[in-house]
Amino acid sequence: MLSDRGRHHFQEQLHTIQQQLVTMGSLVLENVRLAGDAMVQGRMELVDKVREADDRVDQMYLETEKLTFGTLARQQPVAGDLRFLVSATRILYELERSGDLAYNCMKMMQRLGGFPQHPAITPLLEATVTASCKIFAQGIDALAELDAGAGERLDEADDEVDDLVGRFYTTVGKHSVDVGLDVAIGLSRVGRFLERIADHAVNIAEHVTYVVTAALPGDAAAASEDEDDR
Amino acid sequence: MNDTPESTVAEPAARSFNVHQPERAPQGTEAPAGKTGVIETINMDVFYGDFKAVADVSMTFAFNEISALIGPSGCGKSTVLRSLNRMNDLIPSARVTGKVRYHGADIYASSVDPVEIRRRIGMVFQKPNPFPKSIFDNIAWGAKINGFKGSKSDMRDLVEASLKQAALWDEVKDKLSESGLSLSGGQQQRLCIARAIAVQPDVILMDEPCSSLDPIATLRIEELMLELKENYSIIIVTHNMQQAARVSDRTAFFNVELDTKGQRTGYLVEFSPTDELFTSPKEKATEDYITGRFG
Repeated sequence: MLSDRGRHHFQEQLHTIQQQLVTMGSLVLENVRLAGDAMVQGRMELVDKVREADDRVDQMYLETEKLTFGTLARQQPVAGDLRFLVSATRILYELERSGDLAYNCMKMMQRLGGFPQHPAITPLLEATVTASCKIFAQGIDALAELDAGAGERLDEADDEVDDLVGRFYTTVGKHSVDVGLDVAIGLSRVGRFLERIADHAVNIAEHVTYVVTAALPGDAAAASEDEDDR
Repeated sequence: MNDTPESTVAEPAARSFNVHQPERAPQGTEAPAGKTGVIETINMDVFYGDFKAVADVSMTFAFNEISALIGPSGCGKSTVLRSLNRMNDLIPSARVTGKVRYHGADIYASSVDPVEIRRRIGMVFQKPNPFPKSIFDNIAWGAKINGFKGSKSDMRDLVEASLKQAALWDEVKDKLSESGLSLSGGQQQRLCIARAIAVQPDVILMDEPCSSLDPIATLRIEELMLELKENYSIIIVTHNMQQAARVSDRTAFFNVELDTKGQRTGYLVEFSPTDELFTSPKEKATEDYITGRFG
């Protein structure tokens, strides 16, 4: 019955936006995995695939942004609905940037003509990709389920990625003579990209916490991460 | 309109919008892609005696769409609405020039029966106006007057179907013999919508249908409009710009300009997809109005 549903059509629109964000997040996650495979297995043919998938992500970004802006302009959202729509525009940014970072890994790999298989570096690269993907998947789950607790959990889990990336830097540095300086610098950049992808996932989970609880993630750790990004 | 001299009346508030631009690109003169046009006006002027209330309106209203008409007082939006089903005929001095076509046929042609037009193009008014009769009869009467030939049980079916479509059935099914006037304002308005639906129109005109209702009743009518557009073309005049934003697919913004004698004539500024009109209007006058920068 009508009276039980309230603003049924508006609620449907909000749900559509949430679904589109989750779909976009899944696309990005798939692309990070693909970029990881390309780098770890030295598969140059995947570069184009990642680029094409990133074009689809960009397309979805534009569509979802338009829908979100239109809904903001038309529906006079308040409270949780307003928090969701404003956060949706921020989550869109996090997703789009993550997609770009996956493609940046590919651009780096292409420029260097592929990364060498190295007994110390390659397994660590693979572990970093896996850890980044894991945390990104958790960020998307938080978004799909509007899980308020995910923000704090992911912030802690992100330390693991940071540790891995730290070890990756050290290992690459140690073997920079073996692989050549160009490649060593390129790999360091890739490590940084993977670390940032995980940070974006943490941000997404924190936006979700804000949507659900209205509490701002105002802790010092988040602030210093942002500082780091500049 | 084109021969109307530009205003020389000093009225700062009107400064940004009394410059009529006849050369501006026509907008909304055709149904959007994938939609079927139902009512079309072509260079329509509406006069009350010598006074030109609305000038040069060309627009197409589509099936399965809610079109909203907005604009400041005196911009002629209600006049335009009433011209679409010849409701203006009831005002002796009113006169329409240009064309108004319904499924391609000129509704002002001498052979056309205005009663038939008003059956096909129904209307819901600002103030709910049920007949002082039972809820059942409110629906049944209109159908009978319009030549309903079915049996008693057919009539019961029609009443039920109409009330269901108007999202009122569950609230009134146990008291169909009670007076329509016993209902709340919002329910009365939905009863009027059910009554309009019962004679099987394909267009429903709504003139400020929520202006006498509280926010919850307003919300129900808005949800109802969104349901009904699956089967009808709905054209709504509203003072409530946010309502137009919430429910409509396309929005027409009308403005008003003053001539040298101080007469105010309304004209169509733009008729755009509502998403676009409320995020990136084509005309500055529209932006000024919807952002509250004049008036």
